[in-house]
Amino acid sequence: MQMGRPGAIAIVAAAVIAMAGIHAPRLWGQTTGYVAPRATDGRPDLNGIWQALNAANYDLQAHPARPALALMPAPPPVEPAGTGRARTGEVPVPAVRALGAVGGVPAGEGVVVGNEIPYQPWAAERKQENAEHWLERDPEVKCFLPGVPRATYMPYPFQILQGTDKILIAYEFAGATRTIHMDDVGNSPGPTWMGWSRGRWEGETLVVDVTGFNGQTWLDRAGNFHSDALHVVERYTRVSPDHLMYEATIEDPNVFTEPWEIRMPLYRRLEDGKQLLEYECVEFVEQLMYGDVGLVDPATGQRNE
Amino acid sequence: MDHRPVSAVSILAVIVMLPFAPLAAQNAPTAGDPTDARAWQQPLTPWGDPDFQGVWRYEATIPLERPPRYEGRAFLTDEEVAEIARVEEELAANRLAGLDGAAVGRQSLEDSPIRGNEYNAFWQDHGRARQVYRQTSLIVDPADGKLPYTDDAREAAARSTARYGVGPYESYLDPDTGERCLTDGVTAMMWQGPNGGHNRIVQSPGYVTIVHEEYLDRRIIPVDGRPHGGIPQWLGESVGHWEGETLVVETTNFPDKTNYEWASIWTRTSDALHLVERFQRVGPNAMEYTITVEDPKTFTRPWTAAVPITRLADNTQIYEYACHEGNYALKNMLSAGRATAENE
Repeated sequence: MQMGRPGAIAIVAAAVIAMAGIHAPRLWGQTTGYVAPRATDGRPDLNGIWQALNAANYDLQAHPARPALALMPAPPPVEPAGTGRARTGEVPVPAVRALGAVGGVPAGEGVVVGNEIPYQPWAAERKQENAEHWLERDPEVKCFLPGVPRATYMPYPFQILQGTDKILIAYEFAGATRTIHMDDVGNSPGPTWMGWSRGRWEGETLVVDVTGFNGQTWLDRAGNFHSDALHVVERYTRVSPDHLMYEATIEDPNVFTEPWEIRMPLYRRLEDGKQLLEYECVEFVEQLMYGDVGLVDPATGQRNE
Repeated sequence: MDHRPVSAVSILAVIVMLPFAPLAAQNAPTAGDPTDARAWQQPLTPWGDPDFQGVWRYEATIPLERPPRYEGRAFLTDEEVAEIARVEEELAANRLAGLDGAAVGRQSLEDSPIRGNEYNAFWQDHGRARQVYRQTSLIVDPADGKLPYTDDAREAAARSTARYGVGPYESYLDPDTGERCLTDGVTAMMWQGPNGGHNRIVQSPGYVTIVHEEYLDRRIIPVDGRPHGGIPQWLGESVGHWEGETLVVETTNFPDKTNYEWASIWTRTSDALHLVERFQRVGPNAMEYTITVEDPKTFTRPWTAAVPITRLADNTQIYEYACHEGNYALKNMLSAGRATAENE
């Protein structure tokens, strides 16, 4: 089966990338003409439970499907294709193999405008290295606070709660909450996982300026990363009764050569009485993080060797 | 002395009279003068709900349970109030002056009546004297001001106290839920501190949301008349409604987490836990908060605490309590416990 070969994957990836690149950047808030219902203060009403439906958390960039996030390299060819016995392509590493199709990576058209992330050369190498060490390095695996913009497009809903001088964004993953300060609060008091968010309205759009990051969060499961110099400008615009357009400009002079942009629609969760539920994943990762550290392994009740 | 009546919720609908005014203006934590409360009108949100938005914190000295020395009475005498106020002022002054850093190891007021910078005290600094009230305990029902523990829960509480900071710490199950960066539970969320005891209330149409600094605890409380669902969650499932200017919140659907260690057994989460809270703002910077706790797995009867809560200055922020992300202590406790055992 020829599609298993790395060369075929590369061709598919190139085609997907080319298709993703045809979209020219534009600001949705200024172009759709949709006028959102108003909150009682006259501002666009963004209240609701929203969720991204895409593969951006796997990889911000266009990518084909693959068997797992953590793969073992395919064995090197010993003879021209088709002239000898069949051999495997990349297969999942043993740690995730038992997940089968559940552990696979769905393809995605990408959410990066133009598809390219303008890494500095050292940072492009680091990104690659991150991808190769995804299981050990991705903060999501350890239930760490996901950071911005990643929290937006994780496969969990989030709720916008529009107060009078603060807007909360409550994420289901790890119970993270951001306070968007619509009043003047000055600069971030210190480095954080979720950033320091200051908001303003530009017509139909909520613009959030986010700084004060600690440089420890990632942008996706593909190893895309940033430093503590990250500066994100998010734009939330209602484009229909049940859609928000989310655009974020990502700037980090320590890691990228220039600012770049992601863009995706967010969908309203329409279930009757939908509530944001709890995903208290700290409890879920304790065995992974601490099971072999103490005298006794709680999973077995036996002493650790 | 301003003795204003406060209705405290209880299963029996008993009306309890409480003196809820701070004793001295100098104890007020913010610029608001308590006397303003008489002329004060509850502000409303643009959509017409009573507006509770801001950062709130328990800033008083009232113990949860009535200390033995006050047995048989619900209120302090004037002399006792004056003495507690004096100690609080001196504590605050010592802390602010950075005095007495040498008194390491004295962890309580009882050990060290006029200190200020004991171990485990300096990083919990209120930065000002706490408010003194006449109540001898936060618990106003039962009348003895004590937690009505079941025998098993009393034993669990004694065990929890005895092993706190002592261990053994053989696995991640041995530290309490707080040390594991999970939560200390909902029961005392509105007044637990001073370590991260700030609560930011944000309201939006149909919701009151409380963001508690410690453990990033967050409660999104619908006030749109919806019924309870059925999904157990660590912080339960809260549904609220307005009774006049009072927010009444009923919380249920807790999972049973009594298999874990809890720093305070009385805040633990069981599937029998049921909370009814009443939030009533009584001035620009004052809230009367009552909570009735029912949990037959821990208590022989419901109990009610009445808690004065203070609104802090407008520029007060909730900081990011990224506990789990930096929980080096847990790993160190476990590796130290293992090394100790292996060297024995």
